[in-house]
Amino acid sequence: MKKKSDFTEYKKEIMDAAHDDRLRLALSRAVKSFRGNVKNALEKFPHTVALADEVLKIKEKSIPDLEKLTRQAISAIEENKGKGYIARTAEEALQIIGGLVGTKKLIVKGKSMTGEEIGLREHLEEIGNEVFETDLGEFIIQKMGSRPMHILSPSIHVPREDVARLFSKIMGQEIAPDAEIADMVAAAREYLRDKFFRADIGISGANVVAAETGTLFIIENEGNIRLATGAPPVHITLVGMEKLVPTLSDAFKVSEVTWRYANYTVPSYVSLISGPSKTGDIEKVTTYGAHGPKEFHVIFLDGGRTRLAKYPKLRQALYCLRCGGCLYECPVFAVTAGHFGDKYFTGIGAVWAAIVNQDREKAASLAYTCLTCGRCRQRCPVKIDVPEMIIELRKMLAEGEQT
Amino acid sequence: MDTDLVPPGLTYLADNIITRQNILGVSKEQGARWAQKLDLPAHADTVFFAGCGYQYSAQLEVLMSMARATDKSVIGSELPMRFARFQKKLGLNLPGIYSNVLSRGGETEVKPLEAAVKVLRKLGVQPGYLAENEPCCGAPLHHAGLQSKFAENARQAYRTLKFAKVKRVIGIVPYCTHALQKLFPLYVDGYDLEVRHFLEIVAGKISLFKLKYPRKVRVTYHDPCQLVRYMSLVEEPRRILKAIEGVELVETDWTKGEWATCCGGGGGFETVFPELSQVLAVNRVTELMETKPDIIVTHCPGCIMQLKDGLNQLKVEGVEVLDLSQVVAAAMDL
Repeated sequence: MKKKSDFTEYKKEIMDAAHDDRLRLALSRAVKSFRGNVKNALEKFPHTVALADEVLKIKEKSIPDLEKLTRQAISAIEENKGKGYIARTAEEALQIIGGLVGTKKLIVKGKSMTGEEIGLREHLEEIGNEVFETDLGEFIIQKMGSRPMHILSPSIHVPREDVARLFSKIMGQEIAPDAEIADMVAAAREYLRDKFFRADIGISGANVVAAETGTLFIIENEGNIRLATGAPPVHITLVGMEKLVPTLSDAFKVSEVTWRYANYTVPSYVSLISGPSKTGDIEKVTTYGAHGPKEFHVIFLDGGRTRLAKYPKLRQALYCLRCGGCLYECPVFAVTAGHFGDKYFTGIGAVWAAIVNQDREKAASLAYTCLTCGRCRQRCPVKIDVPEMIIELRKMLAEGEQT
Repeated sequence: MDTDLVPPGLTYLADNIITRQNILGVSKEQGARWAQKLDLPAHADTVFFAGCGYQYSAQLEVLMSMARATDKSVIGSELPMRFARFQKKLGLNLPGIYSNVLSRGGETEVKPLEAAVKVLRKLGVQPGYLAENEPCCGAPLHHAGLQSKFAENARQAYRTLKFAKVKRVIGIVPYCTHALQKLFPLYVDGYDLEVRHFLEIVAGKISLFKLKYPRKVRVTYHDPCQLVRYMSLVEEPRRILKAIEGVELVETDWTKGEWATCCGGGGGFETVFPELSQVLAVNRVTELMETKPDIIVTHCPGCIMQLKDGLNQLKVEGVEVLDLSQVVAAAMDL
């Protein structure tokens, strides 16, 4: 490896994780329940498998067309009286959002991998705002000063006793290490409740975006997204361009397949948001900001995605629905969790590091950590061939091709 | 070329393949020793392709135990691997160390190959064997990302096989067979060798034979990644095992067939992460032990090495790891 110390440090990090018995225990429990839940969800709704094939076709059609879809979505959003933006880089996205937010604001935030990718929370805090993560897992991670270890369950590696200790510290009420999980959840609810209504701005990501109507599809179970995107006067969404599909009907299909492979028969909430809140109830005069946000901003992040879309094999990484299923099938992830990763995890994380973040050393470390065993491909609803991408990526790295 | 980005464990294997046509850089004669008593013809339309994994399994075990020991120490495995690459310059004689090991009874390790040849003969297939002239498939080059070297090696290997007038190849090592069957056609113009895996041939003819294992045993099967997810050989090994009287096939609930967990030794991973690879081997063995087997059967030299190590680490006694070819040979009383 070129920067020898990088690889040595990386290897030490993943070996430390591999020797962490608590992490292993937390993961093995999660793997078992995830597999059972997916099996159940697919048995109950067997059409999902064929629907996933359709979703692959939708993604194959959408990814080469990102620019066009983004422009279409922006014009639809603006027709709906929202505002749309393209950020070419992470810095540009931070600048746009920073400009919209300003300083000394109270912000409630939903979980967003894209936000994590660009360091959104940290940036907003740096410029003088108070930010609350409202997804329970993400909230725990934020308060621990840690980083997410799974795309859907960021605090997958934290056992309940640690949560009790953390909550006791930040909430000023004693929570016993053997307290019921329900009591911990209730404590978080109570702590965050007024933040939603006092917040100046709500920030979210999105799972899918329908270009024709500019509609965001946001899948969740906790209800924090409903509150964060509904209660504050301003709603800002940061979403990767790869989440765009042409039509509403495509977006429904992608959503259903996403949650089913993410181990849910049906999630508690799917929010469809296309513009700011409005009413015409008094003399048919359209007025914005009725009960929901008056302002609605959507930032589409390129950040290397359109570059990645040009690589015939590696572009598959953009088909990823972020259901997280592959992670539970990866034998290395089972002992290291997100330590085998960068902004994103495992093999897809390697591609992301190489092309999107253009960090060849990190990409090499990750690429050579993949076993190329192929069980992730077996799980993937859109059949992303991770081993194929990894071999291609290793070739590019080993033979000095441009990334 | 930016080989600096390739981990030293893989460049070590790659250098050996390029210079000596085998992954360890030892003599080809050493590798061919297993076949001495079998009288396999050097010229035949159909040849048995033995591959590095089984032929050098004893030596590989030595390399891996050294690598694991240093990987767990403060030294780490990178530096020794980097040095091993320049072994000749440093006067280090790894191949010599391997040979000594071999003379200390390492020959027991070649049994799967002998068993496979005997099984093929019983099924009416009389393969040849190129012995020291058998080319290396070069699969680790492909896995390391050294595609142009792999392509060069593939073309050379093809020429060697054609020069020996080979028409058909029966492969047994999953990596070699996959390379010869699926990867070579991508890099060799006019590739015309018919490549089949040992399992396919056995599964096709097994019903014609009466098979009985010497004793009653509970057997669990570990699917090698290359066979099950790259070559779709899912049903074949099960059909074979179920045809053997005295064998009770017991499998894990989830991690079988296409869902089998990797043993932790994929594509040279074990040379890059010797210690992590061992952790994964232990995990896989733990899963397999849930079936309470007498024998863990698999069909890949890498998996055999990993699973044996896993059993050792867990201090499990009384459970054997056998190659499928050994089980079939025993059931044919060969």
